[in-house]
Amino acid sequence: MVQQAIELRNVSKKRRNRMIGPLNLNLPQGYITALVGQNGSGKSTLLHMLMQLSFPEVGEIRWFEEAHGKEMPLSLRQTIAHVPENSQSEENLWTAEEAAEFRRQWYPAWDQKYFEELLGKFEVPQGARLGKMSKGERRKFEIAAALAARPKLLLLDEPSSGLDPFAWKILIEALRKYMDETNATVLICTHIIEEVRRLADYIVLMHHGQLLGMAEKDSLFGSWNEVWVNAADEEELQELAAELPDALNFTWEPSGMVSFITQKFHQNEKRIQQLGVKVIKSRALELDEILSLWTQGHHPILIDQKRGD
Amino acid sequence: MWIPIQINENSAEPLYHQIETQLRSLIISGGITEGTLLPSIREFAGDLKCSVITVRRVYQDLENEGLLRTRQGTGTFVSHVGEGAMEEYKLEAVIKALESAVDVGLSVQCSAEELTRIFTDIVKSKYNKQG
Repeated sequence: MVQQAIELRNVSKKRRNRMIGPLNLNLPQGYITALVGQNGSGKSTLLHMLMQLSFPEVGEIRWFEEAHGKEMPLSLRQTIAHVPENSQSEENLWTAEEAAEFRRQWYPAWDQKYFEELLGKFEVPQGARLGKMSKGERRKFEIAAALAARPKLLLLDEPSSGLDPFAWKILIEALRKYMDETNATVLICTHIIEEVRRLADYIVLMHHGQLLGMAEKDSLFGSWNEVWVNAADEEELQELAAELPDALNFTWEPSGMVSFITQKFHQNEKRIQQLGVKVIKSRALELDEILSLWTQGHHPILIDQKRGD
Repeated sequence: MWIPIQINENSAEPLYHQIETQLRSLIISGGITEGTLLPSIREFAGDLKCSVITVRRVYQDLENEGLLRTRQGTGTFVSHVGEGAMEEYKLEAVIKALESAVDVGLSVQCSAEELTRIFTDIVKSKYNKQG
């Protein structure tokens, strides 16, 4: 049985003028889950609650199958690392080395050699105060320090913001290698779709303080298609639309073709042709398009790809 | 190690099936030789931009077919491929390719005679070249 790293049961929290939750979510251990959603959808609040930097008013959070009311034990805290959206100003006057010295007293599994290796790879300036670093440089330090703690649960809040493409690649590689070695659990908030493509096993979508759902990434593959057909007239188009009740965005193109988007296109293709409508072309929607449809309320029919049929 | 697998996003074939079919044919055709250490599940998933769940499924299936074996702590290796499997695969691959060619013929309303003549001509010209 898969062990859950995190469970949220009916978790709610009031945030200024809006409500977050009720949230119900299970994060399986050993996987990378991408938490995706627009600005202000509540992603960071969720991460804060997992760190007990803030607390839900209602509901229960469980870490590795155990709840810890108002204070999680130190032994658990030492296995969780967090790269927050904004770095802690308390460390501004320290250099990377000094901050590491402080942090490793809290993290018994701290791997100094690994930390230095990551700083070297990221080319974090030595001897510079963290507060004086550029956003990207500071970010690199934060990521290196989070990984060096060898956490079982790693919470990343937009880790790549401010990173140049070279550093971004190093980050992806480092996370992959870390997962290979430790089978840790990672929850990553991100707006970068390429990051989701390259890293995520599961995708959780959040919108206006609600969780819209969780999907295995590959079950979204090919879930929506854009299709171009030749339709004789409006009447034939209406007939087609009636046959495909879930299809959206029927549009007459200047070329005289009709385009629309639909789920389960490959199952429906024959039916479309039986109506006498000629399919000219189709393309699978990209992940970002699928997520944006989902945000608009069009939940994808997940492709069960366990067996090839 | 990089494994040449190409995913067709517009195909009706599920992702998992595409990867499995291509990896199987790379092994049986000898493209990846016996004893080769395959990438870790996480690494392969990253290269293919799919989830570890999919890659794990593929490795497990091919292990059940006897094409791969996993050694605890070291990784997943390509196993010995029997002669029978090789012959069977050859036949299967050729039949599949011909079937899709015939489908194209059907879709442009080519007659059976015409198709057979085209096929014979192509065979003649290609095999003579090899001569």
